Amino acid sequence: MYSVLVTSPLGAEMTTVLPDVETMITVFYFALFAMSFDFISGYTGYLSFGHAAFYGTGAYFVVLASNGKIPFVAVDTPFVVLLVLAGLAAVTLSLLIGAVSFRLTGVYFAMITLGFSQVLYVFVRGWDYAASNPRDGPAVLERTEPFSVGVPGVDSLNLAIGQLSGDEIEGLFGLLNFSATEVSYYMVGLVALVCYFAMQRIIHSPFGKVMVAIRENEERAAAIGYDTFWYKLGAFAVSAFFAAVAGGLLAGFQRSVSPENSFYFLVTGDALLAAIIGGFGTLAGPLYGYLFDETVTEFLSKTGEGGGLLPYLRSHLGEGTLSTEVYNGLTVQQGIDTFLNGHAALYVGVVFVLFVLFVPNGLLGTVRDRLGGPVGKEIAERLRSDEK
Amino acid sequence: MSGIALAGASAGANSLAFAPANPVVLAGFVDALGQFLRPGNLASVFVDGLSKAAIYVMIAGGLTLIFGLMGVLNFAHGSLTMIGAYLGGLLMVTAVGGGSGPVTRLLLFFVALAATFAVLAGLGGAMEVGLIRRLYDRPPIYQILLTFGLTLILDELVRIVVLFYGLQPTSDWQAALGTKPAFLSQSVEIGGLSVAGLDLFEIALGALTVAALWAFLTRTRYGLIIRAGSEDAEMTEALGIDVRRVFTVVFALGAGVAGAAGMLLMWDPAWAASVPLGADTLLPAFVVVIVGGLGTFRGTVVAALLVGMVDAVMTWWFVNEIEFAGLPEMTIFLILVVMLILRPQGLFGVEEVGGH
Repeated sequence: MYSVLVTSPLGAEMTTVLPDVETMITVFYFALFAMSFDFISGYTGYLSFGHAAFYGTGAYFVVLASNGKIPFVAVDTPFVVLLVLAGLAAVTLSLLIGAVSFRLTGVYFAMITLGFSQVLYVFVRGWDYAASNPRDGPAVLERTEPFSVGVPGVDSLNLAIGQLSGDEIEGLFGLLNFSATEVSYYMVGLVALVCYFAMQRIIHSPFGKVMVAIRENEERAAAIGYDTFWYKLGAFAVSAFFAAVAGGLLAGFQRSVSPENSFYFLVTGDALLAAIIGGFGTLAGPLYGYLFDETVTEFLSKTGEGGGLLPYLRSHLGEGTLSTEVYNGLTVQQGIDTFLNGHAALYVGVVFVLFVLFVPNGLLGTVRDRLGGPVGKEIAERLRSDEK
Repeated sequence: MSGIALAGASAGANSLAFAPANPVVLAGFVDALGQFLRPGNLASVFVDGLSKAAIYVMIAGGLTLIFGLMGVLNFAHGSLTMIGAYLGGLLMVTAVGGGSGPVTRLLLFFVALAATFAVLAGLGGAMEVGLIRRLYDRPPIYQILLTFGLTLILDELVRIVVLFYGLQPTSDWQAALGTKPAFLSQSVEIGGLSVAGLDLFEIALGALTVAALWAFLTRTRYGLIIRAGSEDAEMTEALGIDVRRVFTVVFALGAGVAGAAGMLLMWDPAWAASVPLGADTLLPAFVVVIVGGLGTFRGTVVAALLVGMVDAVMTWWFVNEIEFAGLPEMTIFLILVVMLILRPQGLFGVEEVGGH
């Protein structure tokens, strides 16, 4: 799809606008984290502002385990098993945090979860057991072979992921060739997809209905006879599990983590951003939200890797236009450098505020509202009604 | 107070060392306790705590004012503080120029402080009128979301400006630090105790802020209206007072106080003007406001003292006894967590407010 679009007549424009494959891998695992955030925050209405704690737990678990620093976990444990174990570790943590936090509601809940995650963040940043320089975070050192996604024990089904060390596939069915990055893309995507379906399944189960009931009116849900505390705690644990899996994927792909990209509260902020733009309370929404976020970031990135605004303009406008002075010795290129490139956060922030104000349901939520119900079903019905 | 502090200390010590307490460590601990209890050390920790408390109360004062009346937890508060630091620093750097004397610098500081306050109050007022006003009838989560978005925008705008004018090749802005009068960097002898001049200055300004806000809230007519509005907005409205306009004024005031706090932080080498200052001040401010009880000014003052003192005590312990750089920072959040577990509504919070 990507290559079709890039080689099309609009190729140059497409390279400029579309994110490249490597970015898409980030989109997958981070979107999974954003989904798990939305799972608890969007469906039960409890803003878990410290969700990064679980993401970080997953990421650190995988890196530490593959450095042999977690007792009873061997260095060469299959990656999928590590993901599940990381998930369980996060579940334990979430039960501890949740047991205390769910006595509170609203702003207070957001603040206590934030407090817990900051405690962990500061702790990890000074924990010299994790890494020789804890402020920069640990990297995978002991385990030399790449992490692979697949069925443990069946070698032929395992495909390695990783920025530089993944598998390559040539001549699959005599036709298809995948580079290492593309293999990572599909495998990380696969894990994210499986997790998405699992969460989707839970939301459409009776358990999920109770979650929504809690969001809509907790007192009534309790009055009907549901013990809302346990439902909230259960939902929190499920959400923590998938957040940790997402963190594990981050660690598996990057082979290193830092406190800043795992435990810091602004990581939760990014998930929040994705969830709001994509659609708060729609499980797939955060994926689109984060895709938007990353696309804008890459479009305005300073280095212009994989396309971007500046390389595009440079090749189309020519140096003459770019070095024209606009104001007081400021050339067009400098203007773009100063006000656009590297400042995606500004524009994402503006879009975010506009969404909060005018599109509270987000991209996907609004589409669903307009069409009423799952999109596919509704389109079919509309088409049918047009025929009459 | 000390109970919480000690609990935090022992939990931290256990989890980082992973070692059973051996006699040597224990003896060292007793020694350190003896050191700590010596009057000289105790007093210096006390002064340190007071100056930290002064900073906390200045950062958190505006936040609690806004929450108390409007129920809006302003995530952009830290960014406003950060803008105040830059703006104040910019004014000072421009004004001080060719090496003015210390007294002139101090006078200029107060002029710049007033200017920063005014500009940020204007910005805050505009934010309330333009954006936050639209969200009062939505669930409180949306106000958190909106102000969080504003943080992103403000931070990035400041980053663009800073980059554009080439203010900041380093991570914090040294030029602003340079405008500090020399006597604030020196130590003063008080009763055989050497105290940093800046600490005293911070304590004085903190006390001034508290006194000014206190007088405004309890001694003026407008303060009366604000207090009435936070008790019962509908009733106040029914009495013929335009509560909407009061909201705007309070938001402007809160933003102005945030800016003034930032202006002070600009001189403190531990904080200094930098873009991440926003996040760095926001979190302690939240802790102070929540520990004190959301929306109670008295609670905020007491909580700032509590957090400042615990912070100072912990810093002393971790510098002298237990080497773990992050722990003073960690204790702040441990206070938050412990407080929310024991008493969710905070020290002086009302049950009803804590319930929503």
